[in-house]
Amino acid sequence: MPAWSDFEPFIVSGLALGGVYALSGVGLVVLYRATGVLYLAFGAVGALGALTAWSLGKAGAPGWLTWLVCIAVAAAVTLGYGVIFGPALAKRDPLVKAVATIGLTLILYGAMDLLWTTSGGQARSLTLPTDNGGFSVGQVQVTWTQVIALGAGVVLTVGTGAFLRFTKLGTAMRAMANDREITATLGVPVRKVEAAAWLGCGALAGLAGLLLADLVALDATTLTFLVISSLAAVLIARLRSITVTFVAAIAVGLIHDLLTPITSLSNYRDMTPFVLAAIALLVLSRHQVMTQSREEA
Amino acid sequence: MRATLERASPARIGRQTSRPQLVKAGVTAAILLFVLLALPQLMSLYYVDTMTQVAVYSMVTLALGLLVGRVGLVSLGQVAVLAIGAWVAARLLFATSQPYPLVLLEAGLITMVGGVLIGLPALRLRGLYLALITLMFAGAITVVLATVNFPNGGHGFTGYNGSLLHIPPIRRPSIAASDPAYFRYSVIVAILMFALVLAHIKTKPGRAWAAIRQSEPAALAAGINTWLYKLWAFALAAFITGVAGGVLAGAVHYLYSIDFPTQDSITLLAVTLMGGVYSLWGAVIAALLSQFLPALLNNWGVSADWLIILFGLGVLQVLTTAPAGLVDQVPRDLARLGRFLRGRLKPGSTG
Repeated sequence: MPAWSDFEPFIVSGLALGGVYALSGVGLVVLYRATGVLYLAFGAVGALGALTAWSLGKAGAPGWLTWLVCIAVAAAVTLGYGVIFGPALAKRDPLVKAVATIGLTLILYGAMDLLWTTSGGQARSLTLPTDNGGFSVGQVQVTWTQVIALGAGVVLTVGTGAFLRFTKLGTAMRAMANDREITATLGVPVRKVEAAAWLGCGALAGLAGLLLADLVALDATTLTFLVISSLAAVLIARLRSITVTFVAAIAVGLIHDLLTPITSLSNYRDMTPFVLAAIALLVLSRHQVMTQSREEA
Repeated sequence: MRATLERASPARIGRQTSRPQLVKAGVTAAILLFVLLALPQLMSLYYVDTMTQVAVYSMVTLALGLLVGRVGLVSLGQVAVLAIGAWVAARLLFATSQPYPLVLLEAGLITMVGGVLIGLPALRLRGLYLALITLMFAGAITVVLATVNFPNGGHGFTGYNGSLLHIPPIRRPSIAASDPAYFRYSVIVAILMFALVLAHIKTKPGRAWAAIRQSEPAALAAGINTWLYKLWAFALAAFITGVAGGVLAGAVHYLYSIDFPTQDSITLLAVTLMGGVYSLWGAVIAALLSQFLPALLNNWGVSADWLIILFGLGVLQVLTTAPAGLVDQVPRDLARLGRFLRGRLKPGSTG
């Protein structure tokens, strides 16, 4: 068993990773509640944004512009998909809607592999200026990027919670989560509210892509499939509570990184999200009652 | 709605075979004979190997199509099940000198037990949750395989020896040592698996699955043991995929965990949907899409990324406009085109 001091740096990196998973998870839950779509292309649009930012940066664009473009690209692609395919699939089963986003994932994944070839090319990296500054807690160096990652997770969870509770748009989203038909009857512009949810989720995907490209790696495959870790957190929250999503996301990030110094388990640390989600789902589903809601019918 | 209702009641198909059915059976037999006898002679070794992969993957897409189309269970982890089958078969082939068909059967059964153990708790979940939990299991299995590695003739439970200088190839059956012979062998195994599924669909389990797909509460109310039949479908799909893994092990001779990435499970679902999940031919089309097209494009020097994009578009197209897949859509559209052309060519009826 390694000494405690071996774990310390991994607490910091784990919290940072968990923060990004949390903000991704919050984006996924809000979109799911508002539109019924579990957006599996979340990682792919983030990767597209990050790679676009990398290309712009290489062409000499200033840093702040590339970050904005990263978020804008992810938001635009997500909104575009939502506007085109959202209404067409609105009445279908949530499973069909989720599988349709796999279609978008594959399109983006293929396109990214074509445009930013990995084979033979040099490894890309995206570094934020906040990597250089930082402070130390005891022996452990903490970068500002890590602080931002965790901070963004906390701020967005609290902010989204407040947004859903206190604003008109947020209330409309919650109403739609309950019943789309009745909400529409009450005069809520359903399409507009949905578009807002798509846009917000896309922007969060861009932000997550930017942070993960810096914290983990700038690589289409890695970033596209990192969404599975956030999905685990979302699953633990049963696609409902953003608070549980936040806690689960932090747990996934933290446990994943804390397993690194334990040599016997280190190779298996990538299983963390899967195992946590599987256990949570199986425990939570023990007393499931068979119902058929209007959403599923 | 009518179309699905009709599909949901195979009972209406009478015992006596009608003329179109005979024609259908004749065409199927002719295609199979051509594939078994003539095809290996006509193709280069490159394409013979590719077609062996098609035979293997047609079993995998058959199993996935069974789950998705007949029972309404979406699995996002079928490639991981294939990897388990291949692992078990490779381990048995290195450890014992049992005849190959026996190893295939064992690989299928052991994979089936694994599938049931996973399915047992997971089947309480429905729809989206079940799909995601299979994705999670697939991810976990991929991680385990990357650490454990595939057997390469070493000793111990894992059968892996990292310092082995000469890695022996996984053996093939003695009657099918050459590539064309092994292709025929794979096709015959695939035919047996298709027959197994057909036997299920035409009888009681098929009717139960159709009822479950329509509405699980209704099936339950009709006295169907939904839990049992869902588990049955899971077990059958795992068995078929396990057998496919066994055939794959002999086909490629060497197995690496990198050959079974999680994303392949996702692509596999895409091609299965594109091929069509309500018809057994859809599985063949899906296998051609996922294995033959990449080989063809590779031969032409076109990047396989275009294919991934095509699959992505295909999924969106199938889900929005053609739920029965290419196998249903292409003949219908061709018939429509034929009618259109006939109308055009007939004098006096233009416009």
